[in-house]
Formats: sequence, structure tokens, C-alpha cells
Amino acid sequence: MEINNQPSFDAPIPGQSLTMELGSRPWQSPAQFTTVDETIDYYMERMSSEDFMVQLADVLEMGTPVTVLANTIQMSSVMEGVHTVDVGMLVLPMLMEMIMMIGDSAGIQYDSGLENKDKPKTRDTLIAKVISDYEKEVSGAGLSDREEKEVKEEVEEEEEPKGLMARRT
Amino acid sequence: MSRQYNPAITAYKRMDLDGFNKLDKSTEPEKSSSGGGLLSRSSIPSKNSKELDYSNPAVRVAKQMQVIRKYRDEINGDK
Repeated sequence: MEINNQPSFDAPIPGQSLTMELGSRPWQSPAQFTTVDETIDYYMERMSSEDFMVQLADVLEMGTPVTVLANTIQMSSVMEGVHTVDVGMLVLPMLMEMIMMIGDSAGIQYDSGLENKDKPKTRDTLIAKVISDYEKEVSGAGLSDREEKEVKEEVEEEEEPKGLMARRT
Repeated sequence: MSRQYNPAITAYKRMDLDGFNKLDKSTEPEKSSSGGGLLSRSSIPSKNSKELDYSNPAVRVAKQMQVIRKYRDEINGDK
């Protein structure tokens, strides 16, 4: 895992959240919609407007992943005090499905963001090395065809059951 | 740019719509021919069974997703 030793200045100062008066931020007051059904209705209404659809199609066309879009939409609603974080998490899959439906209906080749592109793939050279090693090991045993047959026969003979309850041939 | 953790990926992958569809079909309400007497079988699902609990918000979200997925399949099927 890569460790970043550089100090990060893109973070809030410890205690910064306590510098504002409690309740002055939208997310510190009770949410506008408290249930999943109400929140789904809110998003359905918002996303079915033509302006939103056009903007969304543009953003999808630019190559922004659906997962990032859905997360940004729900997070901004949390910050606006529309719904709580837990309701946002519950609604996320529905938001993604809705965004993908808009993308499909607009005929856009969008990035769903579900595939991990950073996942390391098995290199072809490594596969080739394993195959060559295996072939060397097999040929390195130095057995001729006759010897191999003899070894096989011995193994078959050994496999015969010899217990008291074994069936006699 | 580093890839930050996105809860949407996990939430979407955990939403097993195929399993939901199977359960949803099996729990469709049966139309009984008998009247609604006092001793008639109630339609409230028991907690031990694998029936869907519609009071669960995740189940309701899955139901909404099912409808949207159906539309998506129709759109993609036309192409």
C-alpha cells in the first residue's frame, strides 16, 4: 500500500466544526425528508425535469462515473439538509439506477464506475514463466514413456482396497 | 488523483436484485376464495420465514430499483 508522507492541507483544522453556532448549518437542523419514500419521491421529481436530464447527459458524456455522480448528488442533499446521511446511503442504489436509465435513454456510453480499473491484472509474462517452469519440471523428471507406464501401473495396483470389508475380485 | 472510497459502489453491489425478484415472486399475495372469517389465515408474514418485509426501507428501495431496472431493460432491449 502506498503511504503518502506529504502533509495534507486540504482538510479542516481540528475543532473547526465547533467554530460555528450549533444549528446554524443546514445539516445540523432536522432533515426535510425523514423517510426513504419521501426522499425517493423528491429525487424522482427532481430528476424527471428536462433541465436536469440534459445536464446529467452532458456530465455522463464527459466520462464522469455514475457512482461519483450519485454520491455527489446525495451528499449535496445531505449538506442542504434535505435528508439524513443514512437515508442518503439507502437511496444511493436507486439514484444510480435512475442515472443509468437516463444515460441509456439518451444513448450514452457511460462509465458505471463499478469496475475497478486500478486492480492489478496478471501479467502475460508471469503466466508464460509459470508454463515454462511447469514444462521444465515435467521434462526434468527424465522418465521415458515405458517408465511412465510402469509408474502408472504401480499406482493403480496400490489403489486396490485391502480392508476386511473390501470386495474380493 | 487517488481513488477515494465511494459508498455507492458497495451499496449498489450489495443490492441483490435477482435474489429480490425471486423472493418477490414467491411472496405475492394469494387470492383466497374463502371469506375473511375470524379464524382465517392472516397475511402478516412470520419473522422466521424468508418472506419480504416491506416495512424495511432497503426492501422498498429494491422495489423501486426493480421498476427502474425493468424500464432500463426495455430501453436496452430495443437497441
